[in-house]
Amino acid sequence: MSASLHAALPMIDRADDPDASRRRRLAVWMLVAIVIGLAAGLATGPAGFSPSALWTDLQGHDATLLLGQIRAPRTLGAALVGALLGLSGALAQGLFRNALADPYLLGSASGAGLGVVLVLAAASLGGGYVSLSTVVWIERVGLVSAAFIGALAGVAMTLSLARGAVQTLRLLLAGVVVGVLLGAISDLITVASPDALRGKQAFMLGSTSFLGWSALALMAAGLALLLALSRRHARALDALTLGEDSAVSLGLDLGRVRLVLVLMLSLGTALAVSQAGLVAFVGLVAPHLVRRHAPGRHGWLLMASAGMGASLLLAADVISRALVAPEELPVGVVTAVLGGGYLFWLLRQRTSS
Amino acid sequence: MSLLPTPRRALLLALRMMAVLAVQAVAGMGLTAQSALAQAIVVRDDRGTEHRLAAPPQRIVSMLPSLTETAWVLGIGSRLVGVDRYSNWPADIAGLPHLGGLDDAQIEAIAALKPDLILASTSSRAMERLEVLGFTVVRLKSDSHADMRRSLDLVARLLGTPDEGRRVWARLMREIDAAAARVPPALRGQRVYFEIGGGPYAAGAMSFVGETLTRLGMANIVPPDLGPFPKLNPEYVVRAKPDIVMGEQRDLAALTQRPGWDALVAVRDQRLCGFESAPYEMLVRPGPRMGEAAGLLADCLIRLGATGRQ
Amino acid sequence: MTVLLQATGVRVRLGRRDVLDQVDLSVGPGWTALVGPNGAGKSTLLRALAGLQALANGRVTLGGLDLHAMRPADRARHLAWLAQRGDVSGELTVRETVELGRIARLGLLGTPDAGDRTAVDRAMGLTECTPWQTRRLHDLSGGERQRVLLARVLATEAPLLLLDEPTTHLDAPHQVALARLFRRLAHDPQQPQAVLTVLHDLPIALQADRLLVLEHGRLRADGSPTDRKLQAVLAEVFEGAIRIETGPGGRPRVALALDDG
Repeated sequence: MSASLHAALPMIDRADDPDASRRRRLAVWMLVAIVIGLAAGLATGPAGFSPSALWTDLQGHDATLLLGQIRAPRTLGAALVGALLGLSGALAQGLFRNALADPYLLGSASGAGLGVVLVLAAASLGGGYVSLSTVVWIERVGLVSAAFIGALAGVAMTLSLARGAVQTLRLLLAGVVVGVLLGAISDLITVASPDALRGKQAFMLGSTSFLGWSALALMAAGLALLLALSRRHARALDALTLGEDSAVSLGLDLGRVRLVLVLMLSLGTALAVSQAGLVAFVGLVAPHLVRRHAPGRHGWLLMASAGMGASLLLAADVISRALVAPEELPVGVVTAVLGGGYLFWLLRQRTSS
Repeated sequence: MSLLPTPRRALLLALRMMAVLAVQAVAGMGLTAQSALAQAIVVRDDRGTEHRLAAPPQRIVSMLPSLTETAWVLGIGSRLVGVDRYSNWPADIAGLPHLGGLDDAQIEAIAALKPDLILASTSSRAMERLEVLGFTVVRLKSDSHADMRRSLDLVARLLGTPDEGRRVWARLMREIDAAAARVPPALRGQRVYFEIGGGPYAAGAMSFVGETLTRLGMANIVPPDLGPFPKLNPEYVVRAKPDIVMGEQRDLAALTQRPGWDALVAVRDQRLCGFESAPYEMLVRPGPRMGEAAGLLADCLIRLGATGRQ
Repeated sequence: MTVLLQATGVRVRLGRRDVLDQVDLSVGPGWTALVGPNGAGKSTLLRALAGLQALANGRVTLGGLDLHAMRPADRARHLAWLAQRGDVSGELTVRETVELGRIARLGLLGTPDAGDRTAVDRAMGLTECTPWQTRRLHDLSGGERQRVLLARVLATEAPLLLLDEPTTHLDAPHQVALARLFRRLAHDPQQPQAVLTVLHDLPIALQADRLLVLEHGRLRADGSPTDRKLQAVLAEVFEGAIRIETGPGGRPRVALALDDG
């Protein structure tokens, strides 16, 4: 066990590699950022970012409810969602060998959106278009499960349309087609039910407000599983950097490896999206930042992207809660502004140099 | 017989009265205690969930404007401790904490208010979260007159004054009937197209405002089987040739510019009812001001009747 | 010759065209150069021999076993393939890239040991990449990158190397160094390897032990570069643009027929 751990672990402590120190430094910074982010999250409530209010709240008797049941889980949840998205983004970028790939490419986002819209519409159309017993059943499924199932169903549709994960280009095209199709169906349903439109809007913008301890347990379990699988497949992603044929010539069963990677990134995305909605850009920017400041092999890249995603979303969450307190900005809006802004700045730097 | 009691008689009388009062007081207290114990409030909301409350709730949050208004009219008073972002009537609630909408409700802020009852609409993730956290969330649909009546009853029971719901409903019906009586007979049965902004969505006969119009004796170009708020093909409206067009004032200006719509008799003859945003909001909101809303509709119809053209 | 790889009646169809038709050849230890004009199908043949290209007809066997029926992991232990166009993303360091070659032996989960490290060091030494082993691929020039990718293939220690244009981007000294390397590997007393290289570069190709001449998907000649008949076929296949001469020591030399005719 420790032998394979050693094999797959990033050789962070390689004395001969100058980038090793950059990786070490980034790891430390990310740890610091996560700790600060968690503390800041706990200190941000309806009064905005206020450590003094935190101190008072801790002594009040609602501490268990307000802090323990609401603020703590949503803060930790932001870190977990960010980690899942960062990891899924790194997997997508490695799999598609494209630095602009994001985890929503394979139809998971539109599938989750459709799931949400179906549940919301069922509630309002009940008795009219849909029988009441179906409505009750759908409502019992709940928004979270519907989004999760929808995300996985979207990816399943993409895989079946592309006839397995045999060819990357076909997979990408199928993902686009499924995304457009499921999005169109969602839109049709929202025409019939304006309530669903409102709810869908909220889903699309993302929010950590509804994360409780059970959601956390689910995401933590999922993240642990994905991190373990990532270690096993890190070398495959490294081999893929040589090109697909070269990777096959090295002995990689490319079809199987691709399928496993697609399933991994779908699980990560489905978990994150079902709990927090469509949070933009974290999956794109986290691996990008790691590669830019502390490049390395995928053994490092995957884990570091998870850590970076967690730091980014924690920061965005605190901002979304503190900026217009007691109102909240949807966290997806904050990540879009920050992420989009960063990419814009980066592009300008590149074109001017 | 002397009317003035002798001092001894007066004393006896006083004592007797005090005794009776005392007994009644004790008995009264016992009765109240009994009713508090025996009559725990049990309601079944529009989602089918049964809620049991030991006593009428004292800290109530309302997350839907129509429910805020309903609760206010039923006498919630200071028991209302928080409302949603969109609640804006009456002016008394302006000072209350506004806690976001149905989908982005501020969970922590709501929890900090320690409500023992939350009034909400049927589907919302935020409400699910609050339920998981242990709060009592009563989900009410408010799309039709029937829904309104049920909500009135239910909220009245929750507030501990079960008869008030019936009384308010009766008053609302009287107000509507009074408004109906004022509608000029010549206009009765005329066909109305009521437009809800941004669509165009029409308010059909099945919708809340559609039902009010029906009670006022008007017809609707959108039959019930098309649902409450269908998004119509503009051609449908032109073909249906409504006699009167109603909507928000600022939308009506744009409406008359639509291609083919100037052919409508209603547009040519200015048989239009445009409402400013505050009255418009009152018209389309399924709340307890529907009587007043009916009055507004009647006023407009009277004005149209007075212009002479039929 | 110990035959490592055998192709029988190989036909490959891409789109509507028969890119390879009726190709029969066997590959064993020694340095073989595969030459031919543009569009002859050289890269396709190499890919077919590496098991990366589906065959319309015929078979390729490795040690008697059908290559296409083998699992990629088993194939990788016996042969290594170098792509013509590096489709490489270049973010790994030189050493990390060369280490990828060991996946052929270790698989995805095996732990690298001293033997693996030695193989990597040796491969980098042979291609003179050792001084820049910590630099990232995208920081290197085309030629340097080419040598790193070759080192990756050498690190696999596979007995059969299929190299598609390994000398492009390289300057003359390095081309000569590579030619010497191929000879050394092919004639190593302990472990002679079979090195099959697709080459555009005729002067280098003529230094090989054996020449395969491909034209329009068919094998036109197969033999030693000193064979006159083969030389004639070569000149013909290149449309008279080249002339094979015999230089000092009997070694064949190629000259461009610029001033003839």
